[in-house]
Amino acid sequence: MSVNTQDNHAAVREPVPGSPPGGQPRSGSSPRGRTPRWNWRTAQSVKGASLTFPFLAGFTLFVLVPVGMALRESVYTTRSAGGLGFGGQTVSFAGLDNFAAGLVDGSFWAGMLRVFLYALVVVPLTQVLSLALALLLDAARRRTAARFRIALLLPYMVPGIVATMVWIFQYSPTVGPLTPFFEAFGLDVNFFSSSMVWVSMGNLAIWGALGFTMLILYGALQSVPHEIFEAARLDGASELRIALSIKVPFVRGSLVLTSLLSIIGTLQLFDQPLLFRAVTPETITRDFTPAMMIYDQAFNVGNLNYATALSVILALVVGVASAIIYRFINREEP
Amino acid sequence: MIRSRARWATAGLAVTALTGLSACSAADAPTTATGGGAEAAGPVTIEVWGWNAETGKQIVEAFNEAQDDVTVEYVLQASNTATQTNFQNAMEAGSGVPCLVQGFAPLTTMVVNGWAQDITEQVEGSADLYNEGSLAAAQVDGRYYGLPSGSDGQFFIVNQKTFDTYDVEVPATWDEFVETGRELKKHGVDITNMAGEDPSGLMALAQQAGAEWFRIDGDQWVVSFTDDATLAAADVYQPLIDEDLVSNQTYMDRPALYEYFDSGKMASTTTQWWSLTGLQTGLVDSAGDWSAHPIPQFSDAAEPVTPGRTLPSFVPAGCENPEAAVAYSNWLTTPEAIESGRNAETGAVSFPTQIPDPSDYVDEVVPEGLFVDDKAAGEEIIAAQENVIGKFELGPNYDAWFPELQDQWGKAVAGEITLEEALTAVQEFVASDLDSKGISYTVAE
Repeated sequence: MSVNTQDNHAAVREPVPGSPPGGQPRSGSSPRGRTPRWNWRTAQSVKGASLTFPFLAGFTLFVLVPVGMALRESVYTTRSAGGLGFGGQTVSFAGLDNFAAGLVDGSFWAGMLRVFLYALVVVPLTQVLSLALALLLDAARRRTAARFRIALLLPYMVPGIVATMVWIFQYSPTVGPLTPFFEAFGLDVNFFSSSMVWVSMGNLAIWGALGFTMLILYGALQSVPHEIFEAARLDGASELRIALSIKVPFVRGSLVLTSLLSIIGTLQLFDQPLLFRAVTPETITRDFTPAMMIYDQAFNVGNLNYATALSVILALVVGVASAIIYRFINREEP
Repeated sequence: MIRSRARWATAGLAVTALTGLSACSAADAPTTATGGGAEAAGPVTIEVWGWNAETGKQIVEAFNEAQDDVTVEYVLQASNTATQTNFQNAMEAGSGVPCLVQGFAPLTTMVVNGWAQDITEQVEGSADLYNEGSLAAAQVDGRYYGLPSGSDGQFFIVNQKTFDTYDVEVPATWDEFVETGRELKKHGVDITNMAGEDPSGLMALAQQAGAEWFRIDGDQWVVSFTDDATLAAADVYQPLIDEDLVSNQTYMDRPALYEYFDSGKMASTTTQWWSLTGLQTGLVDSAGDWSAHPIPQFSDAAEPVTPGRTLPSFVPAGCENPEAAVAYSNWLTTPEAIESGRNAETGAVSFPTQIPDPSDYVDEVVPEGLFVDDKAAGEEIIAAQENVIGKFELGPNYDAWFPELQDQWGKAVAGEITLEEALTAVQEFVASDLDSKGISYTVAE
């Protein structure tokens, strides 16, 4: 941050409200260890910082503390005292054993590979479709755009579990409207079949994420200076050319953001497969995705120590994946 | 088949709760009663936790009016899961522990977690108030860790119109059941529905065949998912899957499920009393076509038995007045208590499955218009309750292995593996999970 030298100068000369009389700092005479002088600048800073207090308190209580607890939990192991298991449990320090086990856990990494491949399709598709919609909205008149914006954002407002239930009924081969719809075109599509489960979930995920991503990109498009468009038009560029050569490069920063959010969400895939599990139980097992496996370990198997270790590993993977994507998309133009 | 998949079971138990379950707590006892001196020291106040929103409080009020020794406070919980969460918190904190909690997990799980206390001394004296199934369900390793709680005996309902149309006899044994399935398949009718996510049908069949997936031998568990009885159960289901004699509709798509049940294309299902209201609502076209029968038996069964399990309510460790909890539980078997649970909205009492003879109340649970013959249906419900087994030991790690059973069952129902392979895989999972938990076990030969 640049420092305004004029203000700095003023701060030295002007009397400070609330400061003790004769409060001018005497250079070189301030003994070490004394509390720094309480001037208006400090007061302003404290005041400003205090505004972040509610956030910091929440962040500490609901993020930092649980992360600390999870890290602590992940280096212990809980075992029964033996026999029938009726005699209580003993907790012992296990070091990095849980992490070592997690790093070679075939089920966990198979789940990771699954969501990774799924993300390879769903994330770019979401971005491309959202961008296309944002560009269309940007090309439309403001009033029309506002209406569509709300309609497209509606799916995002529906909670994930509810959305999944709604779609399960849409997909239902017996009572859903989609099966007869495809039949009308001579297509026999069963959204409940094992081979279709990824498509069924992917469609649902894109439907849910489209509005939000589109809104961010649309917002970014609004800040593109309009003179450039006019200049381009004068040079004879078509609307498509303007979109591809001017608008898209301008929203790249926002695309990085939406892609990252999309990747983080996709790697943590949980509620959709959890519900689709009932529909295709032979495909979607209890450890189908990393998040499902963590849930199973924590709340079914009852191995909280291992579950938290897996959570930490998942968080690291998501972090590394995000960093790579960030570097990849956000690299400087040569 | 309409099975007590976990959620349904808890829904049913929630209803059962009004008769059988509640929890009591030592929390706000006005007079601290020690040992068995509740009566001597004056009224003891205990907390009962449960999720019976409809009639939980009114039953407790009736109890408090009926006697002066124990005052019960009913603490209404939002759900089965909420009860578990709040209970675990209370146990962790070591304060506010109730004295009676509606069962939210299998009893052995409660014992393994150190949640349930041994109340053998208090229960034994009043055993004659309960039926055998209720008493069996309340025990682990021969000791009472649970309050006697009624299990819902399964019976068999068939679409009589479908059976009559194709001139097929209602099967009395499981062998006949498979044969009937083959016969009906010729007409494009499924003998029953087997939801791919719900292995509780297999569990019930194994229980009926006399399987013991877990038993206690001294200081260790004997695990046996592939004993003769379980394989006999698998032998019933395997041809149904192989020959495609059943459908695999999911419970998740409830409208489709009921439409299918209602279509006449599904000939039969096993069920229990608390499912009947739902069936009455869901089955519109086939209303009046259904008839109730005893559940098919294994050909070599010495006497008729009906599968049925429950999650017994229990007295938590740390409750100082277990005798008060048992007194309340005992009172729930009285006609006065059953009447106090009459639902003001529906006008029905809950079916007292824990008492030796619930026949006086069966008319109330047979919904109008579903059955060809309501009286006969009522008799089948009573017979199912009389023969209910109640106990099916689920071992010390049920929560861990049930999802694995679901996975394996899903694969078996889809025809990817056989049921025997599925059961073997579950057994291997159980063994490795018990290893990791440090619990002693042996796998039966």
